Amino acid sequence: MAGRWMDFGQYGAKGAPGAEALGTAIESMVTGIASPVDSERGLAARLRYLTATDAGYEAMDRAGIHVSPRTLMAWLAEERSPNRANLGRLDAAYWDLRRRNVAADIKRRLHNDGRGTRVEINPVNQSAVDRKHQRDLSTRSVNVRDLDLWDRAVDAWMDDDLEELDAVWDEIIEDLGSDYDAYSNVSSIGWAA
Amino acid sequence: MSNIAVSIAQLLYSGRMSEENSVEALLEEARLAAAMPPPEERLRLREAAGFSRAHIAATVGVGRQTIANWESGATDPTPPARLPYLRILKGLAEIYPPPAAHGDPVAALFTQQPSGPAPAPAEATAPVPATFTGLETLRGPDGRAIEGDPGPCVQCGVETTYQSTDGRPLHSGALCQPATSTPPAPDPAATAPIPAPVAPAPASAPAAPVRVSPVPSPVPNRPQRRAKSADRAQAELAALISRAVQEEAERAGGDEDAALQALIKRAIPDVMHLFDETRATARYDYTAYPALPDILKKPSKKDPDQIWEARPRFHHPGYSLKAPGSVQVTALDVNAAYLSALKVWLPIGKLEHTNGGDGVGPKRSGVHLITPALWIHDHLPNPLGDRDEPGALWVTDATLRLLLRLSGPKYGLTEAPEVHESWTSGATENFLDALRKLLGAAREEAIAAGDTLTLEYIKAMYSKFISTMGESIHNREMVRPDWMHNIHSQAYANLWGKAYKAHQAGLKVIAMMGTDELHVTGDWRQVFPEGRGVSQMKVKHGDGKASGEYTVGVAL
Repeated sequence: MAGRWMDFGQYGAKGAPGAEALGTAIESMVTGIASPVDSERGLAARLRYLTATDAGYEAMDRAGIHVSPRTLMAWLAEERSPNRANLGRLDAAYWDLRRRNVAADIKRRLHNDGRGTRVEINPVNQSAVDRKHQRDLSTRSVNVRDLDLWDRAVDAWMDDDLEELDAVWDEIIEDLGSDYDAYSNVSSIGWAA
Repeated sequence: MSNIAVSIAQLLYSGRMSEENSVEALLEEARLAAAMPPPEERLRLREAAGFSRAHIAATVGVGRQTIANWESGATDPTPPARLPYLRILKGLAEIYPPPAAHGDPVAALFTQQPSGPAPAPAEATAPVPATFTGLETLRGPDGRAIEGDPGPCVQCGVETTYQSTDGRPLHSGALCQPATSTPPAPDPAATAPIPAPVAPAPASAPAAPVRVSPVPSPVPNRPQRRAKSADRAQAELAALISRAVQEEAERAGGDEDAALQALIKRAIPDVMHLFDETRATARYDYTAYPALPDILKKPSKKDPDQIWEARPRFHHPGYSLKAPGSVQVTALDVNAAYLSALKVWLPIGKLEHTNGGDGVGPKRSGVHLITPALWIHDHLPNPLGDRDEPGALWVTDATLRLLLRLSGPKYGLTEAPEVHESWTSGATENFLDALRKLLGAAREEAIAAGDTLTLEYIKAMYSKFISTMGESIHNREMVRPDWMHNIHSQAYANLWGKAYKAHQAGLKVIAMMGTDELHVTGDWRQVFPEGRGVSQMKVKHGDGKASGEYTVGVAL
C-alpha cells in the first residue's frame, strides 16, 4: 500500500483499504444461485452444480466434504439431507467453484473489448474529522485501460491474495496524479461492467 | 507568396526595428491591395494629377508599359512595386476625390476595411465612431450577456446572437471592429496637406448613423433564455429517441410486436445514454457508486431493504363493494406517474449520517428514521400508506417533506413527525428534470401522433430507469437505491396530493392504491382535466370489479 497516510483513522476518517474495495467490487459482479443453501431449492441447485463436472468434485474436496458416494447419491436423490456443517461446506464449495467459473467472464466484462473500464473512486468518509485535519478529497474516476491489470486483479481476487490486490490498486491510483496517495483508502469504488 | 517568404527572410536577418517596419509594410500593403481602385480610377487619378506614365513607372520601379497595363486592367499590380503604387494612388485619391460630390468618395475605397482582421495602422486609424459608444450589451441579472435570435451586428455586420440594450444584434461587449465606418472623420485639410479643390464630403461624416436602423426593435421586457443551445441539445436527444424507434421498426420489417420487444430490450442502455447526455455541462457530478448504509442494503436478492416507501393501499372504511348500494364511483388513473415523479429532491453525493433533525433541510435529501404522528382522518388516505406496525420507521425525504407540509399551518392535518436520525446529502431537484422534460415532450408527441410504439418505448425507458437505478444486474451504470426510493415515494406523494385535491373539491375518496389509482365519487371532471397528458387524469379500465365506473354501498 502506498503509505504516506501514516495512521489512517487517527482523526476519525473512515474507509477501507483500496485492495479490499477492489475485491468487494469484483465480488459484486458475481451472480449465482439466489436461494439459500438451507432451502430445498438452493441445496438441490448447488448439488447439481457441484456434481456436474470434475471441477465440482475437486471443489468439494477443497471445501472439506469427504463423504461416501452413497451419501452423495442420497443427497442428490433427496433421501437424506446434509447436516449443518456439511451444508456450510457445500455452500462454500459452490461459491468457490462459481467464482472460478465466472472469472473468465468477469475478465471479459472488465476488458470491455479492449477499452478497459472506468472506475469511480469515492474518498474516505471524513465527516467525523475536525475541519482542521480534513483533507480536500473529491470523488475521482480513472479509466483502467491496462487489461493485464484487470487480469491480475481478478486472479488475485480469486486466490484471496490481498497483497497482489494491493499492488494492483497502487497501480490504478497512480493515474490519479500527485494526490494518489490519499486514495489508498477509500469509502467505496464502483464501475459499470 | 514569394514576397512573404522574402519578407520573412528579412525578418529573420534584420534587427527589431526593421522587423516591425517590415510587418507594418506588409500589413499596409495587404490593406491597400484589398481596397484597390478599379483600372479606370487608376487612370483618372494619374491624369488628374497630371503625371505621365513614365514618371509614375520610374517612381515605383517598373516599366512604363506595366503601368499602362495596370491602368487598362490587362494586369493587376504585383509586388514589389505594388505597395508604392498603391500608396501613390491613395494619396491622389485624397487630393482628387471623384467629381460626383454626393457619390461615395474614392477615399472610402481605400479606407474601407476588409470585413475582418487587422486594425488600421496609425496613419489610417480612425477612432471608433462616437455613435457606437452608446451601445451597451444586453446583460442578464448575473452580469452575463444574453443571447437571442441571430442577426447581423449593427456595428460590424457579422452575424451574432448577442444583443444591445435596445434589442438590436450587437457583438458581446461591442468589441467587434466597425466594418465600414472608418472614413477618417475627415477634416480634409489635416489629411491632405496640399490645398486643393476639395469637394466637401458630406457623405463620409454622417455615414455612421445611417447604418444604424432608425427604428429600434422592441426591448425585451424580461431576460431571454441564454442557453440557446439547450433547445438544440434537446432536439438532438429527441431525435435519438425517434431514430431508435425508426431503426427497430425497420429491422422488424413491419412486425410491430417484434419492434416493441427489441425496443424494450434496449430501453435501459438507451435511457442511460440519454441521462448521460442530459448531464453534459451539468453543474454537479453525482456519485454513481456511493458507500451505502446498511439500511439501504438488501439482505438478499429477494428481501427488501429497510426503507418504507409509503405505498398507498387505502379503502374508505365507510363504503364497501360487498354492501348493496348505489354510490357511483369512478376509478381514475394518473398518467405517467413515475415520469412526473422524476422531479424530486435527490441526494447528489454519498449519504452522511446525522442524529436528530440535523439532516432535515430544504437543500438536503436522503432517508430519515422517524416516528410519525397519529393519522386521525379516516376519510383521507394516510400519507404513510398502509403501515400496520407502530413505531419508528425509515422513510424517504419525499415522504418526510409531505408529512412536514401536512403538519404546517396550511394543512394542519397532523403533528410533525419526530426525526431520530438521517442519512442525507446535499440535494437538487433538477437532477432528472432534463430527462423528464425530454421524455415528457416525446411522450406528448407520440400521443398526438397515435404512435404506440414510441409511447411504449418511452414508458419502458423511464420505468426501467427508475426500477434498475438501485442494485440491479440489468443496469450497472449506477447503484443509487436511495434515488429509486425517493422517486417512488414522490409518485405516492403526488397521488396523495391528487386525492386531497379531490377531497377539497367535495368528492369522496373511496380508494387510493398503487402508484396511480384513485377512486372517487361525484363529478371528477370538475376537478381534474381529462386526457392522457401528465397533468390530466383518465378513467381506469381493468379486469377487476372496481374499474371504470362502478357502484359501492355504504358499509354498516
